[in-house]
Amino acid sequence: MTRLIVVRLLFGALTLWAVSLVVFAATQALPGDAAQLILGRDATPERLAVLREQLNLGEPVAVQYLHWLQGIAQGDLGTSFSNRQPVADYLAAPVRSSLTLMGLSALVATPIALAVGAFSALRRDRAFDHSSSMGTLIVASIPEFVVGILLILLLGPGGLDLFPSVYAREGGPDQWILPVLTLALAVAPPIVRMMRATMIEVLESEYVQQARLKGMSERLVLWRHAAPNAIGPVAQVVALQLAWLAGGVVAIEYLFNFPGVGKVLMDAIENRDVPLIQAVVLLIAGIYILVNLVADVIGLAANPKVRVANR
Amino acid sequence: MPSLPEDPTARVLGVPSRRSLLKASAAGAAVTPVLAACGGDEETASSGDGEPQRGGHLRVGVAGGGASDTLDAHEPTDNVDIARNYALYASLMRYSNDGTLEPYLAESLESNDDGTEWTLVLKEGLTFHDESPVTADSVVFSLRRILDPDDPRRGAGDLEGVDYEALEVVDDRTVVIHCTEPMVTLPEALAEYYNCVVPEGYDPDEPVGCGPFRLTEFEVGQYSLMARHEGYHEEGLPYVDELEIIDFPEDDARVNALSSQNVDVISQVPHAQVAIIEGDPSLSIMESETGMWLPFTMRVDQAPFDDVRVRQAFRLIVDRQQMIDQALSGYGQIGNDMYARMDPSYPEDFEQRDQDLDEARRLLDEAGHGDGLEVELVTGDISAGVVAAAEVFKEQAAAAGVTVILRRVNPSDYWNPEEGFPYTFGQDFWSARNYITQTAQGSVVGAPYNETMWGEDEEWVELIDQARSTADVEERNEIIRQAQRIEYEEGGYIVWGFVNLIDAHTTRVHGLEPAVSGHPLGSYAFHQVWMDQ
Repeated sequence: MTRLIVVRLLFGALTLWAVSLVVFAATQALPGDAAQLILGRDATPERLAVLREQLNLGEPVAVQYLHWLQGIAQGDLGTSFSNRQPVADYLAAPVRSSLTLMGLSALVATPIALAVGAFSALRRDRAFDHSSSMGTLIVASIPEFVVGILLILLLGPGGLDLFPSVYAREGGPDQWILPVLTLALAVAPPIVRMMRATMIEVLESEYVQQARLKGMSERLVLWRHAAPNAIGPVAQVVALQLAWLAGGVVAIEYLFNFPGVGKVLMDAIENRDVPLIQAVVLLIAGIYILVNLVADVIGLAANPKVRVANR
Repeated sequence: MPSLPEDPTARVLGVPSRRSLLKASAAGAAVTPVLAACGGDEETASSGDGEPQRGGHLRVGVAGGGASDTLDAHEPTDNVDIARNYALYASLMRYSNDGTLEPYLAESLESNDDGTEWTLVLKEGLTFHDESPVTADSVVFSLRRILDPDDPRRGAGDLEGVDYEALEVVDDRTVVIHCTEPMVTLPEALAEYYNCVVPEGYDPDEPVGCGPFRLTEFEVGQYSLMARHEGYHEEGLPYVDELEIIDFPEDDARVNALSSQNVDVISQVPHAQVAIIEGDPSLSIMESETGMWLPFTMRVDQAPFDDVRVRQAFRLIVDRQQMIDQALSGYGQIGNDMYARMDPSYPEDFEQRDQDLDEARRLLDEAGHGDGLEVELVTGDISAGVVAAAEVFKEQAAAAGVTVILRRVNPSDYWNPEEGFPYTFGQDFWSARNYITQTAQGSVVGAPYNETMWGEDEEWVELIDQARSTADVEERNEIIRQAQRIEYEEGGYIVWGFVNLIDAHTTRVHGLEPAVSGHPLGSYAFHQVWMDQ
């Protein structure tokens, strides 16, 4: 088990390195450079020259990358091109905000989705089951930012005027509701469907039948025998969805003017701000890798065959 | 001895349109404030009437912003930077709302006969945010900081003729600016917001200026907070205690923030969303006619546009009103292939060019394109309405037998030589500048954005040079008009319209007035804004 985790972590680090290479190559392939984009229409040759000098854009691409990599190895994320501040300082607040948003969304989405999925399985082929599978299918097929826009139209100032549709610095807690709801709706459907499928499978399994034949109460059957065996496969899906949140947050933050990493990433791409793009993308990729690892560990832990095997 | 270039014909904007300038201030009045959340009394229903009240915290949502936000007085780039610049700093001259120049920190600015030597006198009793006095030394320090050869700032191009070494302090309030060449455009350059005055030893991280507000908090990419500068030199201004400028890179979020009263004012309402705001009785629209133009650019040195008849034909293809209606949702003024609309020299008397497809076909036929012509038009989302204008042009050109192929380029790469800029046939957007200053930017040989490659015309170049060294305004405008005539007949721009800018605010907010500068919110005139308390 420990060995497995260590190996997976090593692969994770390798993946991150590959991601950083791809991101760097992609930003180099874009026309224009940071200096030109920062100065925009005021880019006189003299000013361009000065800024390129300041940003070390004159160095060969490989050298620029190695410099950046050296910094990373020492825990230094480098300096933002467009902001001239250390990336770590600049990202601290947005990262906190985004993690809070993701955490809240996960906390809202996961229990509700699990409950709906389990209930659908128990009510198989009844009205609740049909409407929940129809609902999840519809929501899953709409892009999350469209869900966000629809929610704004419905619940925001233009509609029922229940919640603010824009994040304000001094706004109340109700301004979190629409972004969290949007993200929760985006991640919930696959969890619901997986939970339902797994539960149906488990409820038809021999050990559950056996438990029922013994005359156990239905509640005990569900909690003692069915649920624990459903956790493994469902945990995988939950983890995948939570990992998706790390990237999904980007478009949603933009929509609600939410001061998180998504807004920073959009802006950094527009400015070809390589150190900033790298940091945000690595962060998102890192969350992906970690969450997947945790999911695998839970999946394995829930599987006694693996748990006791000497790997 | 000419002093400040006074506008002899102080023009109110010409061309009355179906939306007159008055509409902006009447809009508020037309709506009874019965439903206004903070219902002031009836007298204060519109923006700008009633007795100004002091106090309050004004929250402004400005388009744009991000990691590149800066507080540097001489390096503002995007809209949020510009808004902060107007609030924190002050320049020696400034543009009034109708586009005429007026002294701001300067008491006077006078030149010798050929505009090579300018004497600047500061107003008395000016103070920076840290209560230190604004002196001749501050002016010299600021000009040198802008012109720094090792790190030229944004305004260095405008001040190119200023002799960096020979800035002469006469006394506490007087500076003599020597120029290496005639510089009749110096007052204009000194009126640009980014050529503002900062104290010696200025540090952009702890910014000190002498504008109406001083900085209290700043969060890059998010917001900035400012408080009234008690030592601001305009009596009784600003009215509000605190000003908060908030970044809104996303249009919908900005409009939503105003609708939900999370902010009091927003800049740049997308034309398509004006109706939403107009339908809300607690909000008002402010429409400003501006000198901003979105030209088509034809390179006069490349086929097919090296034949003047093709250029003339293309100018006759455009149905200007239709283009304004479709590309700007009607929020614009018809253009006449001539820029610098706010310049006192603007040729109002040139005949208005209208669509004439028969004449266009005849000219194209003469130029040897009788059996059709195919051109590529490079477009990009560089400013609202540009891509739509290209699509409209494509349709209009088809009627004259011209096939237009559109190529869209990413806005951030639009001016990139790697993409082919300057394009044979492209587009651009320009804010309002006076004629001579604009030619230095976009029409003379060596201009940073000479996208039509105009400026080889000897007669025209000679006229421009002559105008640049004529200090007498009347005389200079006469020369400029001859140059404009040549460009009007043969130039490479199609100036089909000028953009109206739409801002919006809640009915609590008063004192905003439209400006022609092309900068939103009356050139971000926060010092004149007051709110119902």
